[in-house]
Amino acid sequence: MIFFFLLLLLVLAAQIAELFIPALPWLYSAHVYIVPVIVFYGAMALPFPLMLALALYAGVLLDALTVQVIGGKVEISTGSSILLYGVLAGIMHGLRPLFARGRWEVHCILSGIFTSLIVLAQYLMITFRRGSIVFTREIWWQIGGPGLIAMAVAPILFWLLQWMGRMTAYAYGPERGRFE
Amino acid sequence: MSRTNIIALLIFGAILGYFLSFGPDMTQKFKSGVYQLLAPFLTSGSGLKKQITSVSTGLKSLDQLEHQNSALQVENRELRATNQGLRDVEHEVNRLRHALNYRERSVFKLIAAEIVARDSSTWWRTVTINRGKRDGIEIDMSVVTAEGLVGKITTISNNISVVLLASDENCRVAASVEGSREQGIVSGERVTTGLSPLLDLNFLTKQAGLKPGQKVYTSGVGGVFPSGLLIGAVKTFRVRELDGQAQLTPAVDLSHLEDVFIVTGRR
Repeated sequence: MIFFFLLLLLVLAAQIAELFIPALPWLYSAHVYIVPVIVFYGAMALPFPLMLALALYAGVLLDALTVQVIGGKVEISTGSSILLYGVLAGIMHGLRPLFARGRWEVHCILSGIFTSLIVLAQYLMITFRRGSIVFTREIWWQIGGPGLIAMAVAPILFWLLQWMGRMTAYAYGPERGRFE
Repeated sequence: MSRTNIIALLIFGAILGYFLSFGPDMTQKFKSGVYQLLAPFLTSGSGLKKQITSVSTGLKSLDQLEHQNSALQVENRELRATNQGLRDVEHEVNRLRHALNYRERSVFKLIAAEIVARDSSTWWRTVTINRGKRDGIEIDMSVVTAEGLVGKITTISNNISVVLLASDENCRVAASVEGSREQGIVSGERVTTGLSPLLDLNFLTKQAGLKPGQKVYTSGVGGVFPSGLLIGAVKTFRVRELDGQAQLTPAVDLSHLEDVFIVTGRR
């Protein structure tokens, strides 16, 4: 449980830190997203109910900071990020046995792909509201860039979180025993 | 699937359904509440970022320092020569700067604010400022600098507010063009890649024939933005099938904002 609360704290800290990290001009102004990587790690490390709780918490935070109410209209429904995190973390949770066997590379790659999927889903939702669907090279980079960054930082973050898990004496669930 | 997991999934679904049922008012309250909770972190984080930035800009390599040293020696000789003449001017400049202080000379009632955070999301262009309900800030109030229009307030909590920048596609501003009878709607572009985003001025007549450099001001139509605020200058003009469209360079450098003013009314 200590590890779960630690993850909640880290998600909050990462969400606030993201507000102070500028977009990368050399990567078509792509933004850096750290929160999804932490959530997806949690999805692998935590049991199903806690995984859902973490996805809910991260989704609520993301919605609160991104959803815009302009002229009395909501552009993206509150809850859409919760749904996105829930579904994607659920898929990641399904790959938990592989993680328990010590195979991290699939999860690192998936963390990047899923981060890009979140940005893509947001883009599709605003495009649906605003009309005129456009996919330029810049847009693809702004969708793919955060995924590439997430993929690059995932091994370091996973290692750090694994270390924190060990420090807090977190037991990684029954799958570990089943596959080792 | 175990019973615990099913119960957890049902609870998750119920909470998700509750959030999805939020209307604009509930969403606004929810956002305000979360920003209220995050306000202490955002304001202290802003201070921390400034300290880190000042330290990192102070660190330079040995080559850079040598190069800088020789350049500074040359500059120093030049400056000594001009310094004497500038001493007298300094006093006058200070006096004029004070006299021209934007807040004093503005026709609007203004509240000064500092930017504490920038939006981390890809598709919305917003900044967070350190003024809120407690300072008399309300939704849809215009935000400006001495150079021109910055955007409008979209979310408020007690201590902080969110400003939707003029460079966001959703920020639509009724505008008029200097030296012509042309009126149109200014909005940002969905995706910007450079550090300086451009604005679009739509719904002009095909015959508008705007020239680069012509200034564009808020027209006051719609009631959100007061008239007479400089939005930007025309960069290019093109005729489309049904109307004319101009691209504008914003009057304000929206990517390097530090301090802004919120317009609370006219004097």
